[in-house]
Amino acid sequence: MEHYDILVIGAGHAGIEAANISEKYGLKTALITKNYSDLGKLSCNPSIGGVGKTHIASEVDILGGVICKIGDKSAIHYRVLNLSKGPAVWGVRAQIDRDLYSKNMQKYVKSSKIDLIEDEVINIIEKNNKVIGVECANTGKIKSKAVILTTGTFLNGKIYFGKETKEAGRIGNSSSKELAKFINKNFKTMRLKTGTPPRIYTKSINYDILEPQPSENNGIFLSYFTKQNTNKNINCFITKTNNKTHKIIRDNLDKSAMYSAIIKSQGVRYCPSIEDKITKFGDRNGHNIFLEPEGLNSELVYPNGISNSLDKKIQLKFLRSIKGLEKCEVDQFGYAVEYDSVDPRELKNNFETKKIENFFLAGQINGTTGYEEAAGQGIYAAINAAKRIKKIKFNNKVFERDNSYIGVLVDDLTKLGITEPYRMFTSRAENRLKLRTDNSYERFTDIINPITFNKNDYTLISKNIKNEKKIIDKLKLLKFTPNSLMKKNVKVKKDGKVRNGFEVLKFLDPTPPIFKDFFNMNISQKLLTKIFFDSKYEVFYEREKKSYDQLNKNKNMKLTNIDFSQIPSLSKEILEKLNKYKPENLNDAGKISGITPSALFQIVKHKKVKGTKIA
Amino acid sequence: MFSPGTIYSNITPLVKSPVIGYRISGPDVLDILKKLTKRNFSREHSVIKVVKLYNYVGEILDKCSVVYFKSPKSFTGEDVCEIFLHGSPLIASQLEQTLKNFKIPGLRLAKNGEFSFRSVLNSKNSLKQVKAINAIISNESFSSLEYNKKLLFGGDVLSGLAPLREDIINLFSEITASIDFVDDEDFNFKQIKEKILAFYLKCNNILLNNKSKVNQKNICKVMLIGPVNVGKSTLFNKLIDKDRAIVTDIKGTTRDILSNKFIFDGKKFEIFDTAGQRSKQGKIEKYGYKKAQSISKDMDHFFVLADKNTKKSDIKQLFDDFPVGNNHTFILTKSDQYQYKSKNIKISQNHDRDLIMKKIKVSQIHKKYVSYKNQKIDFNLEEIDFLERILEYKHDIVKETDILIIAQLMRNILDDFSFEFGYINNEDVYDRVFSNFCIGK
Repeated sequence: MEHYDILVIGAGHAGIEAANISEKYGLKTALITKNYSDLGKLSCNPSIGGVGKTHIASEVDILGGVICKIGDKSAIHYRVLNLSKGPAVWGVRAQIDRDLYSKNMQKYVKSSKIDLIEDEVINIIEKNNKVIGVECANTGKIKSKAVILTTGTFLNGKIYFGKETKEAGRIGNSSSKELAKFINKNFKTMRLKTGTPPRIYTKSINYDILEPQPSENNGIFLSYFTKQNTNKNINCFITKTNNKTHKIIRDNLDKSAMYSAIIKSQGVRYCPSIEDKITKFGDRNGHNIFLEPEGLNSELVYPNGISNSLDKKIQLKFLRSIKGLEKCEVDQFGYAVEYDSVDPRELKNNFETKKIENFFLAGQINGTTGYEEAAGQGIYAAINAAKRIKKIKFNNKVFERDNSYIGVLVDDLTKLGITEPYRMFTSRAENRLKLRTDNSYERFTDIINPITFNKNDYTLISKNIKNEKKIIDKLKLLKFTPNSLMKKNVKVKKDGKVRNGFEVLKFLDPTPPIFKDFFNMNISQKLLTKIFFDSKYEVFYEREKKSYDQLNKNKNMKLTNIDFSQIPSLSKEILEKLNKYKPENLNDAGKISGITPSALFQIVKHKKVKGTKIA
Repeated sequence: MFSPGTIYSNITPLVKSPVIGYRISGPDVLDILKKLTKRNFSREHSVIKVVKLYNYVGEILDKCSVVYFKSPKSFTGEDVCEIFLHGSPLIASQLEQTLKNFKIPGLRLAKNGEFSFRSVLNSKNSLKQVKAINAIISNESFSSLEYNKKLLFGGDVLSGLAPLREDIINLFSEITASIDFVDDEDFNFKQIKEKILAFYLKCNNILLNNKSKVNQKNICKVMLIGPVNVGKSTLFNKLIDKDRAIVTDIKGTTRDILSNKFIFDGKKFEIFDTAGQRSKQGKIEKYGYKKAQSISKDMDHFFVLADKNTKKSDIKQLFDDFPVGNNHTFILTKSDQYQYKSKNIKISQNHDRDLIMKKIKVSQIHKKYVSYKNQKIDFNLEEIDFLERILEYKHDIVKETDILIIAQLMRNILDDFSFEFGYINNEDVYDRVFSNFCIGK
């Protein structure tokens, strides 16, 4: 029988990142997937990145992950969102060719030392609450020191087209019943819901009358290491729903799975179905639909913005009311999916389950949504598993929420749990100005490891870091008085303060010629932008750190053994919230919405005087 | 921060008066009452009992009213008793000595504000409500009295800051949405900036409108001036009614200027007695007279006193030396000794206080200078301070062009509100984002 260090179940974005980093750390790794062809499949929209999502993806990239690199290799269209704002919230988004992505990913995994097993896992084997392996339908038992489960939405999946329902995960997958039983038996689960739009044949769309959205070629890619486009870039197109569309949908809400109350689970607020949009914002002139090509040679288009669970006939009817889609043909209709996720509070903050040692969960099964969120969890769970097995060393601080979006995600999931599928937003991070995609290498210095990169990449990153340090060191040696700056037309306060070059940088236009003129050094635009904002945000880092410290100062006051109902003075609402979120420490309690300072006082008091006589 | 145990303190000033009150709060109240009164109060919630108090050797300390409030139905939420001793500071000190001699572990004198603190701890009052109580006691003004009562009895939602909190969450939500969901709706930085400016304009207006109202004057300052021996001190003593009037903080400043506050018909006055004016003044009197002149500019009104012996030139001198203008009442004194033909107000030391008050029309005078009608206000002093703190961010926010920095500053403001009203977390913000904007594909 094979004996692995780490066994990863599921070959989606979480599974691949987990297996990849595990293999790079030199661990004997297996990746089990039910269907070889599912490996690296983009199950939903054909794009990677966006605001918040790119932020996680770039961290995965710098940790040695593959999502950005394979993404760039398969990209056919780029846009950078928020380009008019500071780089802390730039979100590069790439349209991905589905086939290319799967092919590139399969090629990559095959070329690695990961053992790829095509089989169905039917059970997890544990002994004394410690995982020792898995049982597969065909292969039988496989031993492993750690198991990472990344099976997405497979748990009790149910799909809905109008009133038609079907048991399944995604279309074409049968639910894995046995494994589901194991999970349901051991962990608290919650029912979630998501939806997907219909897929339309590209040849049935009249592009001539639609507004094209060309790819932006500004040298910004998903991966730090990508230097140029691999593929030809093609256009996306925009169209809009109209009053006629709205009327069709409104008249047929009773034929929607969601609105006829067949589905009761919590929907996603930031990913509303078209039914939702019409019901809540029906007074608008129209809602945008982004027609995203599924690939260079694909005959399908993904119409982003109209996920729905209406009856198939109605779907076709409303689609054909839309400009450019008058004669459209549909390959696969939109549907709603209901599935179970594990309550992420079942996890420790290293993503190991609290119940079963060395058993890790990552990805959508933890109640998240999105490829990037899954990838981040996959790599995080595997790094922690590797730490457990091989005793690899790294500073845990890199995964604190003040240092990385992965940290924010881990903290939010394991502390507060979820009520809807969790997606990353930059506003979730207190230290947003610092958690940028252009400085992830800096934030992860403590964990960046030559073995997780290929030689070229490591040379590049080391060279860049060295070069940056050299420039910063030189800048800091240069001294400027307010007078000398005035002479150069730089407006600063006449405070008599001598500033060094780094401090002066924020007053300049960040272009290489000006930089050269001012400091007599050559610099790339990319690096200049980065250090310009470092200079500009420096004072705010302090501010962010202060509020973060403020937020975390009561971290050591553990609340795990407190029965809140024993505190008679807490109001019913507050008690409900505390029981719902079960905060681990006072700091987390304070972050729960509506918890008042006086409620915190009462908890402190209860803790301090417990056992002593007090009314 | 919090130390448990039973606490006690006097709740009236420790001065000779009809009653001196004590409050005791904490787990040992029943035990203490048993020791003090030799009675069991556990079934006597909220009933006034007249009982004998005994000191620690069993001698009678006093016979007085005692009321017990059972936890949690008390001000602090703990067991509480209030004892109303005969108003002798001596008895009060004997009570405190007795309590000390009981040697109950943890029993101690309460710190300033500790009863209120416990009432917040035990959810009997919100932080805002306790502050409101404090404001009511310190009687900022008639309008804020009404407002603070409203807060105290109606709760935090009635605070004038509550709508601003709504504004700031909505504003922050829009900023958040414009960053995180940039391609879902058309967001416009210029519009957001305009909304921020409008928010600040609103804050500013509220501040300007309410600041004067909150700080609204509620006391009328009157100075007595007149020649030596005209009867200023007699009137002064009548007005302050040393024996009966509600007199606060007796400020004997110099031997030349006495001032005293008194309340008549629910109206607050501060009255200043001055050194007399005479043509040939001694050194000390000269000093006193000068001093009276120097504080006279803060006065609302003057009582100009004269009698039969007062010369016209004396009066003219007074009018020259003090900013009397039209804000004065001319009063002739000693009407029991002299006959006056003039139509001016005439008083005598034989008149009782109420008659004098009526004659010299103190109520009308108060009305002239103090608006004690209930102007509607929406803030108390604390909240005005808070508003001013928020306005401190204005400069930074308005000049800033980087929306990320604006967002960071707005987050700071949101955190300030969190402290006043309970934590506002990301979920609260997202709730707004998703209900105000059509987000998502």
